[in-house]
Amino acid sequence: MNRYVFYNFILVSFINLMLYVPHILIQYRYTGAVSSIAAGSVIGTVLLYLYTSALARYPGKGLPEILKIHFPGWPATVLTLFFAIMWWFATTVVVVAYAILINRFFNPDVNTTVILLTLVLACGYAATRSTLTVMFVIEIGVIINAPIIMFILFKAVRSPQLNWDAIRVVANYITAMPSITALAAASFVFTGYINLSLFNRLFPPNFRFKFRWVYPTFGLAILLVTFFVPIGFHGTETVNRYIYIWSVTADSLLMQYGFIERVLFLFLIVFLNLTLVYTMSGCHQAMEFIKSCLPGEKAEIDSPETPVSNYVIVSCFALLTMIFQLLTNEKLNMQITSYWLVLRMFIEFFSVIGIFILSRRRSRAV
Amino acid sequence: MLERIRLLFAEAVDLKMETLANSEMTIEIAYIAPLCEEKKVNDFIIVPFTKEEYSFRKQLGINPDYRLVEDPAYWQELLLRGHILIKAADHIYSFDAARVISVENPQTQVESAIQGPQLALSEDIRISLNLVRSMYPSPDLSVEEHTIGSLSKTPIMTVYDQRRVDPTVLDNVRKKLTTINVEMVHAAGELEKLLVGKRKHLFPTALITERPDRITRAIARGKIIVLIKGNMFAIILPATFFDFMQAVEDSYDSYWMTRFLVFLRYASILLTITLPAFYISVVSYNPELFRVQLAFSIAGSRSAVPYPSFVEVFIMLFMIETLVEASIRLPRYIGSTATTVGGLILGQAAQQAGLVSSIMIIVTSVVAISNFVIPVNSLSFAVRFLKYPLILISIFFGISGVAIGMFIYITYLCNLRSFGKPYFRFFGKLRHLEGDVGQVKLK
Repeated sequence: MNRYVFYNFILVSFINLMLYVPHILIQYRYTGAVSSIAAGSVIGTVLLYLYTSALARYPGKGLPEILKIHFPGWPATVLTLFFAIMWWFATTVVVVAYAILINRFFNPDVNTTVILLTLVLACGYAATRSTLTVMFVIEIGVIINAPIIMFILFKAVRSPQLNWDAIRVVANYITAMPSITALAAASFVFTGYINLSLFNRLFPPNFRFKFRWVYPTFGLAILLVTFFVPIGFHGTETVNRYIYIWSVTADSLLMQYGFIERVLFLFLIVFLNLTLVYTMSGCHQAMEFIKSCLPGEKAEIDSPETPVSNYVIVSCFALLTMIFQLLTNEKLNMQITSYWLVLRMFIEFFSVIGIFILSRRRSRAV
Repeated sequence: MLERIRLLFAEAVDLKMETLANSEMTIEIAYIAPLCEEKKVNDFIIVPFTKEEYSFRKQLGINPDYRLVEDPAYWQELLLRGHILIKAADHIYSFDAARVISVENPQTQVESAIQGPQLALSEDIRISLNLVRSMYPSPDLSVEEHTIGSLSKTPIMTVYDQRRVDPTVLDNVRKKLTTINVEMVHAAGELEKLLVGKRKHLFPTALITERPDRITRAIARGKIIVLIKGNMFAIILPATFFDFMQAVEDSYDSYWMTRFLVFLRYASILLTITLPAFYISVVSYNPELFRVQLAFSIAGSRSAVPYPSFVEVFIMLFMIETLVEASIRLPRYIGSTATTVGGLILGQAAQQAGLVSSIMIIVTSVVAISNFVIPVNSLSFAVRFLKYPLILISIFFGISGVAIGMFIYITYLCNLRSFGKPYFRFFGKLRHLEGDVGQVKLK
């Protein structure tokens, strides 16, 4: 069942494009992005190993259950609520960014708010489903879309338009010290393991994490491609001019033999799918976290009937997302996202280490 | 006894009540003539009783076919099931002389296979059971009888392999069967709806089949079969989406060809659902999606069409749906005429008259033909509907709308459960040592 861990990892590492990770890294390309990539992958790998080995001691339990074991009532509740807000916010950023992207590239005539409403409704419906359903949707979404993304990345890397000199120039700035924002952006690619906080509930008692070396390798490869390929296409200076850097990069590619000539459209459709899947998964996790704080709420992984609380919580999320979109613009959105990325890195760092220590302490006690 | 039966039933001429006497004793018999086989009545009761070659009293005692009825409450039901009631010396016996009218040895018609068994299930439940039993000669085969319908009293049988069946599914099915409360059940589809329970469902979650080989294969995989009296079809529970995409021939023919066919089916199901919606979004929203030459030829073929693309799509889909519907309902000989007239002449003429573009005609025929590729009819019907919501959303949101719609469909499919089992999921190789996801019940 290790594939279910892998799906989460792949999903998050692909979705980094929607969270402005390449753009943030490229801003720091002379001032520590490359070393941040190196340091970020080390941090990500260590956290991944710590978290998976910690969770292996709590088979079939999610983060809220683990916190409830070790803490009395209210600190566990506060922590869980905090995690829920973090998760919800990630999905909000992604889905708002994509709504703007649709408005830019697909339907310039349609109002962004209307598009966002549709996206949020679709994801909201999906998020209210049971955890098992959400896992299946993630599986199908990744299986369908990952090969196409791999194709696009491969095409980009093999393109004759790619200027390796520019890449080499930027790569030589590896000696610059890493900066916090770039480090946060780089380590985000490896953060797929954190989704296990909820999905660990699904795993059977005899589940063992295997092939853990695949995750850092894969993450590093994705991170290098997302950072260096745009530089190779647009040159060391111009690359900083685009916010949606990968959409523009995909538009530089051409499929000579297909019905669809511009790779951009393929890229956009695939990323729309991934955005939907990611938003669903994030919203669902946040919803489950909030539900675990409600008194008398029993965690269910596949309830035959959807509880009303699901609908209530998710519609609150949807409303908040709409409000967020109305209050911010692209620039603000990106600023907030980079702060969020930093905050996320610290939160994740401390919570993973904390859970790891708790899991060791518990095993010694038992 | 006869007086009492006369009171139990409404005035009916076909209710036969006789009193017979021979040197040994006097008996009273009662039966409903059309329900019983006259030959059986003669051979087992009237002839042996009047010929007196062997004591009829002894025969009643020895032969287990004459069953002693203790409770008068059963009389009515026994008579209505085609039994004969015999009163001999203060004991009431019943004898099964039911006459079942059914198609003799029916051939498979709905799911035909070129190779493989040609015999379909029979309308007589005993012949169906015979087919299943002889194709699955295992002592583990368990058969349960239930009766459904307060008026129709339809006998149904659940058949499963007691070692392989999933106990939770079995409990679920038993509970459903005992709680069903209707007056009449005659068709497998009706029973399937009752079993599934949801009134508004989009996809079939139980497989209806007439092929005994499909049934035995399903039993071997731990599924439960429901056979219904008077119906050539059986229900297989639980079913997954992928069962519906599987033709029985896939396991008979060569490997690569069948893999290719399976791929073809999935490709065509995708086409039949999305193609009209994609047509609308490409023509009305994103003509730049396709390469320039293709975009031009689409635009060129639409140059004579005076209204937006979705009107065109609705016209053509209305035509094709009525055509399909007509050719199913019409008698076979007129059916082919309707298809020819509609398909060839109307399509061509509509394009020349400038009502629709020629590309749209291709789209429509692809949609219709790919829909017929789906091997199981009930899924094929469900899929026929799926394109309309996508068309609606594509009118407003273009390609992104289609993608969102497909996402919702996939979520809906993943959310479906067939008797507690996931309906739509990719089963990878499951090693026995590893558990499956979602098996743990949280306390």
